[in-house]
Amino acid sequence: MPAPLLEVADLSVRFDTDDGPVHAVDRMSFTLGQGEVLGIVGESGCGKSVTCMSLVRLLPETATVSGRVVFDGRDLLALPPRQLRRVRGREISYVFQEPMTSLNPVFTVGHQVGEVLRRHLGLSRSAARARAIELLRLVRIPAADRRLDEYPHQLSGGMRQRVMIAIALACDPKVLVADEPTTALDVTIQAGILDLMRDIRERLGTAIILITHNLGVVADVADRVLVMYAGRKAEEAPVAELFAHPQHPYTIGLLGAIPRPYEGEGTRARLQEIPGRVPSLHELPQACAFADRCPRADERTRSEIPPLREVRPHHLVACFHPGEDGA
Amino acid sequence: MSALAEPNGAPIVDPRARRRRLLRRRFLRRPMAVGGLVVVLVFVVMAIFAPWLAPFDPSATDFNATLAHGSARHLLGTDEFGRDQLSRLIWGARASMQVGFLSTLLGMGIAVPLGMVAGYYRGWIDTVIARVTDVLLSFPFLILAVGLAAILGASLLNATLALGISAVPAFIRIARGETLALREEDYIPAAVVNGANDATIIFKHILPNMTNTLLVQATVTIPGAIVGEAVLSFLGLGVQPPKPSWGTMLQDAQQYLAQAPRMAVYPGLAIVFAALAFNVLGDGLRDILDPRTTR
Repeated sequence: MPAPLLEVADLSVRFDTDDGPVHAVDRMSFTLGQGEVLGIVGESGCGKSVTCMSLVRLLPETATVSGRVVFDGRDLLALPPRQLRRVRGREISYVFQEPMTSLNPVFTVGHQVGEVLRRHLGLSRSAARARAIELLRLVRIPAADRRLDEYPHQLSGGMRQRVMIAIALACDPKVLVADEPTTALDVTIQAGILDLMRDIRERLGTAIILITHNLGVVADVADRVLVMYAGRKAEEAPVAELFAHPQHPYTIGLLGAIPRPYEGEGTRARLQEIPGRVPSLHELPQACAFADRCPRADERTRSEIPPLREVRPHHLVACFHPGEDGA
Repeated sequence: MSALAEPNGAPIVDPRARRRRLLRRRFLRRPMAVGGLVVVLVFVVMAIFAPWLAPFDPSATDFNATLAHGSARHLLGTDEFGRDQLSRLIWGARASMQVGFLSTLLGMGIAVPLGMVAGYYRGWIDTVIARVTDVLLSFPFLILAVGLAAILGASLLNATLALGISAVPAFIRIARGETLALREEDYIPAAVVNGANDATIIFKHILPNMTNTLLVQATVTIPGAIVGEAVLSFLGLGVQPPKPSWGTMLQDAQQYLAQAPRMAVYPGLAIVFAALAFNVLGDGLRDILDPRTTR
């Protein structure tokens, strides 16, 4: 197996707040291969976004980040700011959830796409403009050469998200981190954006980290899925394997909570919710974080942190009682 | 760029031009603002073309016609040395406009970077800048200006400096407040992830977004500075006689109020009209630049 493009090892993130430290991410490790699409799934506040923000040190100063993020042979957590800025947007770029507000209202779309090109690649104004048109075509914006001179408020949400993706792709990055890229968009537009993501991976070979709380989105585009719970990795497996043989009771619970369209007489079962609440991240227990909500919990679950084990080929799970049978 | 045409021959409508047209239409719908702009332009033209517009040398005395009433020769009459009041008024506009614009530019030049640094970096630097600003703001604008002018010495340049520095605290507060709000916008982290450094973020992403606010504040500061110049000159801390300024004209008029009240009326009216025109113009600009305005 070739060396991974991005290797995250023992990444922990702690926020020091007035109410004491919050452990947002606890010893996360994962890898991302060349051209791979990794889906990171979990509920709000489970640390998926924080994990990805910490890769290129985007967190505020109240965050303490430890561990290693090795990208292309360099530890990004130890890189001086000037070099880090050259990685940001050029080698690792981001697409966020809010396309409506992520563009600067006072500049044209073309200016903002061109800004990245001029900064990282040193293109001239006219070369940047020409390339910006290409990029807008790449993300399938119709009449790209006219859109270039429009201001963000003249574009729809879907179009703006496409512009954000164009900006992210401008310098042909090796990794694209998409943090809930479709959450703020209409369902019909979501499909288009996901389609675009797949297309990008195929045509440009960009590795993608797709953060979402929507397992449907993951099933659609990801190669491998990582399920997070309360700042820790609960389960990790190739996408087909995870959907066919989920092992962690939390994953099983998530899959049970997906609404399924009407599949014939008598199949309209009630959606299963997961009982209980996510534990407070103020004091992560020295135990399985899911123990309080888990039907399989026992003494050991409540006194030890379950280690990750490979229960099936390429299928890692952090649970003392893994298994597919309904939780 | 706007001369480009689509392949099908339809001209590209530059959105910038479209917005300019919209703003112009909104502006023209506000008679007060248009009036303000006209008066401001009249004073600016007077200031720039004073040597050609003034019928007499503003310092030339005519002892055959002292304290004269308005006549065909001296439209607004003369003062106690027989100097033509109209010429002095026109030259006085030059001092007023110069101080009004330059001191405002100076104030903005000092205050905006400080305010943005305070608002963007927060922390101790913000505490220092914000507290000093609060202290300075507790002095009325003119008291501060008079004090500074007294320290710097009396001249037009020093009056400009004093008024400019006095305008700094208000501009700092506005720039800081705007920066605090704008740094929370989503396009700031979006710029950071694309590798922008602090200078790029401050000057390319934050500053352009507050130009409207600064413009409106400038139209409030300029009349303040015009009045301030008149006050300083009146007190002998600004323009020195015999050089003409609306403030020194008022000072001269003081002794002759009973015999020739017009000597005070004309420069007084000039000050009122100039200050009012800038204020009205500023109100209009604020209205049309406010995105919530629909009219």
